Amino acid sequence: MSDVLKVSNLSFSWSDNPVLENIEFSCKWGELIAILGVNGAGKSTLLKCMNKILQPQTGNIEVESKNIDDFSIIELSKSISYVPQSVMTNFSMDVFDVVLLGRRPHISWRISDEDRDKVSKTLQLFDLEDFAFRRFDRLSGGERQRVIIAKAVAQNPSLFLFDEPTSDLDLRNQIEVMKRIRDLVDDKNERKSALVAVHDINLACRFADRILLLHEGKVKAFDTPESVLNEKNIAEVFGVTCTILSATDESPMRVLVGDEIKFHSTSIIKQEE
Amino acid sequence: MESISEKHVLNGRKQIILIVILTISTFALALFSMGLGSSSQLDMFSTMKIIFDTGQFSCIFEISEVFPCNQDIQSQIVWNLRFPRIMMGMITGVALATAGALMQGCLGNPLVSPLTLGVASGAALGAAFAIVLNLSFIPIPELAIVANAFLFSLIVVAIIIQLGNMRSISAESYILVGIAITFIAGAIVSTMQYFATDAQLSQLAHWSFGSLSRPDLVNTIWIGLVIICLMPIVFIWAWDLNTLSLGGDEFAISTGVEPVTTRRNILIISALMTSIVISFTGLIGFVGLAAPHMSRLLIGNDYRKLIPCSAVFGAFLVVFADTVGRTLFAPIVIPVGIMLSIIGGPFFMYLLLQNRGHAH
Repeated sequence: MSDVLKVSNLSFSWSDNPVLENIEFSCKWGELIAILGVNGAGKSTLLKCMNKILQPQTGNIEVESKNIDDFSIIELSKSISYVPQSVMTNFSMDVFDVVLLGRRPHISWRISDEDRDKVSKTLQLFDLEDFAFRRFDRLSGGERQRVIIAKAVAQNPSLFLFDEPTSDLDLRNQIEVMKRIRDLVDDKNERKSALVAVHDINLACRFADRILLLHEGKVKAFDTPESVLNEKNIAEVFGVTCTILSATDESPMRVLVGDEIKFHSTSIIKQEE
Repeated sequence: MESISEKHVLNGRKQIILIVILTISTFALALFSMGLGSSSQLDMFSTMKIIFDTGQFSCIFEISEVFPCNQDIQSQIVWNLRFPRIMMGMITGVALATAGALMQGCLGNPLVSPLTLGVASGAALGAAFAIVLNLSFIPIPELAIVANAFLFSLIVVAIIIQLGNMRSISAESYILVGIAITFIAGAIVSTMQYFATDAQLSQLAHWSFGSLSRPDLVNTIWIGLVIICLMPIVFIWAWDLNTLSLGGDEFAISTGVEPVTTRRNILIISALMTSIVISFTGLIGFVGLAAPHMSRLLIGNDYRKLIPCSAVFGAFLVVFADTVGRTLFAPIVIPVGIMLSIIGGPFFMYLLLQNRGHAH
């Protein structure tokens, strides 16, 4: 089966500052890929290159086996939905209407009963029914994040791009949201995939099929969590020591973070080797 | 118990009913305003008789072969003075309020108004050239000020088009350029005022206060037709405005809206609506900023309903302010721009304070 997303030789820079260099990876149908890296590694930039928010200088991106340049913005939004880190607004709408915006790529003018039903079901999926007619700008940061994720789901794309969806959420909601994303991807009737940029290594271990580890704008590793997340990679990329706890029948793989490595640099790590 | 979908449908219907009530109220106000004026022989009853006399239409539209035409002095006051003024008030309110709603949505900024982009300043500059320096694109003295105001405001529209063709242009850039244009045009106008005669200063000041009585009936009808033709185009962008106003460019792209071109096109139409109207009326502020906000307090930020609600609210505000301005201290007429600020400002403040802490 072909990949839902294929990226090759992608590079992006702001003026003369390279952010991403020769990025190459793919995402299968029904797969959840976690993107990990330090602040400034290029996680958000990579996601924004996937849906034409940013235009990479070089590279080839294929979505559903079609070059991304052949998509108009509205056509692409039917295949890809991007959830930003946060949505700040000077105006407001009811939560129902915000989620309804996810149907915009599919609506010409009138809202159909099918659109409303899709929105209602999505609100139920994210336990947002009681919020349906509350103002979006009066919700907490975490509640707004859930609404924006619900809007992305209502959009019914093949591929979700989540840019740190758990950043504003409490611990319980972090797990709830990642579980919902995992359920979306696992639903064999729906054929969804997801790229999720996260900071929490353990969320990535628990929910991702594969991890794309970025370091200084390049792909450090792209494989299963067990292959990617080892003490050497974590020390090089994050500059911390750690202990890896392998997955058991009762619990997923976990990374116990130790301490920061003083004078962290790639050359020092290589010297120690 | 109704489902969420059913409640959404009901809410939508309530909003439409509100807009219909507001529209009926606006037309009722317009009709009532036609009966108010400084003429002692023209009370409400006699005005209504004149309005509903079919013979009058034949005079207006020159079809006296169909109906007999009666053009006594009272009829002329009603149809040639009051009717164009009130109609111009409604058109002005519709145009400026719609333009204000569009600009606030596509720029994602609740503080912008039709005067923000510099269109009004361009028009004021053109008017100043005609009044103070006697320089005009058109050699007809009666049309010099209007033509100059319109053409100078079109120069600003052209700048907006050029800005819109730059891929990197952001919403904030439009606002900053508008501010720059306002300062530049204002500086030139101030310089001309410094060297102007008393009569020219007075004429320029009166132009800047705003007046609905400048265009005659034929011009008013033409302006109205242009605004009516532009309104359906505006409705096409309602969904795009919902996304642009809520979350900015990244949110818009993720929802299938191309923000740069869409914003440029919306701003061009907004600027055209503004320039067409203020070229004739002069500077009428407040309504373009306040009418959309007042509408949001009533029906929220869904542009499919916000656009018509703002338009109707704008028409209501302008007609109301003009009616109060010409009747409160009759026969002295307080310009509509001043009355809008006097009445509208405190009322707007009251609505905001009432709405603080309450969901709409």
